[in-house]
Amino acid sequence: MNRTARTRALTVCLSLAGCFTVYSFRLVHLQVTQHDEYAAQAAEKHVKRQTIYARRGVIQDIHGESLAQNEPVRTVIADATLIKDRSQMADVLASALALPRAQVLEKLGREVFSQSQKKNLPAPYIVLKKEVPESVATELANTLAQRKMRGISTEQETTRVYPNGQMLCHILGYVNGENTGVEGVERTMEQFLRGHDGFRYTERDRTGREIVPYRGQEKDARNGCNVKLTIDMGLQNIVEQELDTAIKQFRPKSATVILMQPKTGEILALANRPNFNLNVQDKVPPDHRRNRAIADMVEPGSTFKIVTTAAALTERIVRPTTMINCENGYFASCKLHDHHPYSDLSVNDILVKSSNIGTAKLAIQLGDQKFYEYIRRFGFGERSGVNLPGEIPGVIHPPHRWSKISITRMPMGHEVGATPLQMAAAMCAIANGGYLMLPQILHEIVDEQGRSISQFPPQQVRRVVSKEAAAAVRNAMVEVVSPKGTAALAHVAGFKVAGKTGTAQKYDEQTRLPSHDKYVVSFLGFMPAEDPAFVCLVMVDEAQVSNDKNYGGLVAAPVFSRIGEKAARYLGLVPSPEVPAGSVMAGQNIRD
Amino acid sequence: MSSNRRRHANAIPIASFATWGAIALFALGGGLGYVWCKNQLYATGTEIRSLERELAELKNKNEVALSKIAQLSSTAKLQERYDSGFIKLVPITNDRIVVMSNSVPKQGAGELRNVSNERVAE
Repeated sequence: MNRTARTRALTVCLSLAGCFTVYSFRLVHLQVTQHDEYAAQAAEKHVKRQTIYARRGVIQDIHGESLAQNEPVRTVIADATLIKDRSQMADVLASALALPRAQVLEKLGREVFSQSQKKNLPAPYIVLKKEVPESVATELANTLAQRKMRGISTEQETTRVYPNGQMLCHILGYVNGENTGVEGVERTMEQFLRGHDGFRYTERDRTGREIVPYRGQEKDARNGCNVKLTIDMGLQNIVEQELDTAIKQFRPKSATVILMQPKTGEILALANRPNFNLNVQDKVPPDHRRNRAIADMVEPGSTFKIVTTAAALTERIVRPTTMINCENGYFASCKLHDHHPYSDLSVNDILVKSSNIGTAKLAIQLGDQKFYEYIRRFGFGERSGVNLPGEIPGVIHPPHRWSKISITRMPMGHEVGATPLQMAAAMCAIANGGYLMLPQILHEIVDEQGRSISQFPPQQVRRVVSKEAAAAVRNAMVEVVSPKGTAALAHVAGFKVAGKTGTAQKYDEQTRLPSHDKYVVSFLGFMPAEDPAFVCLVMVDEAQVSNDKNYGGLVAAPVFSRIGEKAARYLGLVPSPEVPAGSVMAGQNIRD
Repeated sequence: MSSNRRRHANAIPIASFATWGAIALFALGGGLGYVWCKNQLYATGTEIRSLERELAELKNKNEVALSKIAQLSSTAKLQERYDSGFIKLVPITNDRIVVMSNSVPKQGAGELRNVSNERVAE
């Protein structure tokens, strides 16, 4: 080989070596230095994280009736880049989804600006309609497949359905667009109801179809737990019906009924008016959404006299037979009136006749501090602890903030702010022999297979009054529901009923004085008095009746009577042989 | 060249051919097997996917059915049907209800006992 040939060969070899060196360098650069970046880019294109959605737990009543359920629905999506004939597609979609054709056409014509191509392109993701029923979505998919039309897909979602509509709306609450509870039990039990979404890593080919053998990591979804409430839908239905009847009759601003089991503190039924339909809640005013049983504060009126009387009896300051002078209807030093003038009344009769003066004298004998302590022991001025959001504690001022006449006004339920639930819980304490029970709305949490995860046994908060005092107040309240008491109309044929009426004047927001035509009337009682099966509070705010008829004994007591009769039959309570069945009792003194 | 040497020089290496043939067949079989397995894997994958889809659809249908059952058997719906007269139930009036009092315990053998439904008898 001559020199020229050797030079040429060397040049070629060096060029090749240089070329390979450059390629090798690039290869190393791609495979080592930038490996992670390019691997991530490749994975992003082919590997997708598919979410496996967890099913939200169901809410049930005590007997397992479903109160909040899930329903699968679909969101119909259009990819305008794949649609060839928009007009034809609009025809199909408009008829299948029951949408105006012009609206569909407008949506399909939407464009997005492409940064890379510097021009507007058909939008690849257009939401046509949400919450489309499964059957409609399937029918649409079949129609499109038959006509070989591309560009429409659906996304699986679930919507919350409340089979009973308006019933229990304030207890159940509702979820927002992301299926997160925002009110009621849906909110307080969110962590149990929600569940945990799972995931799966999938690899797709260039057409977007999944390559199943290349599936990656997978984690199953854990569905939410089911929540069982203490609510009995049979009783709830009775309460709702009677409340509706009362609303038609009295047309009040608002009304509340609570039914509780006194021995356990379980809430058996709870209804407020105004209410709303949980399935159609777009335009519901905030006022209708409020759970008045726990979020509204009212002056309880004469129903509060049970607190004063029970406290005085527990402290043994008086006995049920102790006579108190009721000043013939006007207690001058305190400027306090009774509806009817009484001279001497026994402690028992003070409650039966609902004497303001007699009750005030009991509180005076008790003393400021002791009386305040008993009010607090009954649970007023603090949240009851029920598992519902938005509960307020009410207002009970401490003795150092009282005026000189507070000790005469508070015993009859004035200058006191209490929620209806606090009042019902206080009556439970009298009915069960003196224990304040924690109001319970939750009965049990069970998993998907029905295994119990958590239970909510009855909880005694504290002993409030002595057993003897509770019994004495109970006996007095039986007489309240008699012809000589203020709640003769609360009578339930065949049963001994115990209860107390309440009528409280509302404050006029403009004049800041007690209004003469706005009242909150209530009846708070239980039955059968010997062995109470339930405590029931009926509270009616601003009933549209004349002032001489706007009393707890005339408005709320009859509602209690109707609820009591139906509830007794529903619960299979055995009538008391001592009480004549079917007798109609005439009231003499129902103005309270 | 003697005939023996010629025979030796033109001999066909059968053993070698057989070995290479076997290797080739094995490689071919292995390749085909691999392709077959891969194909089976894809086919099974497709089947799994279609079964999963079917299962999801059945689950959805089940959820829809459960939701419908819950709605139709809800207290509100039953009350509505009762109010419309579809469910022909008549409320039992109080005079139609017989309340049985507690039975009197047996005192001794052969002793006659009162009937338990005393209130009704009165």
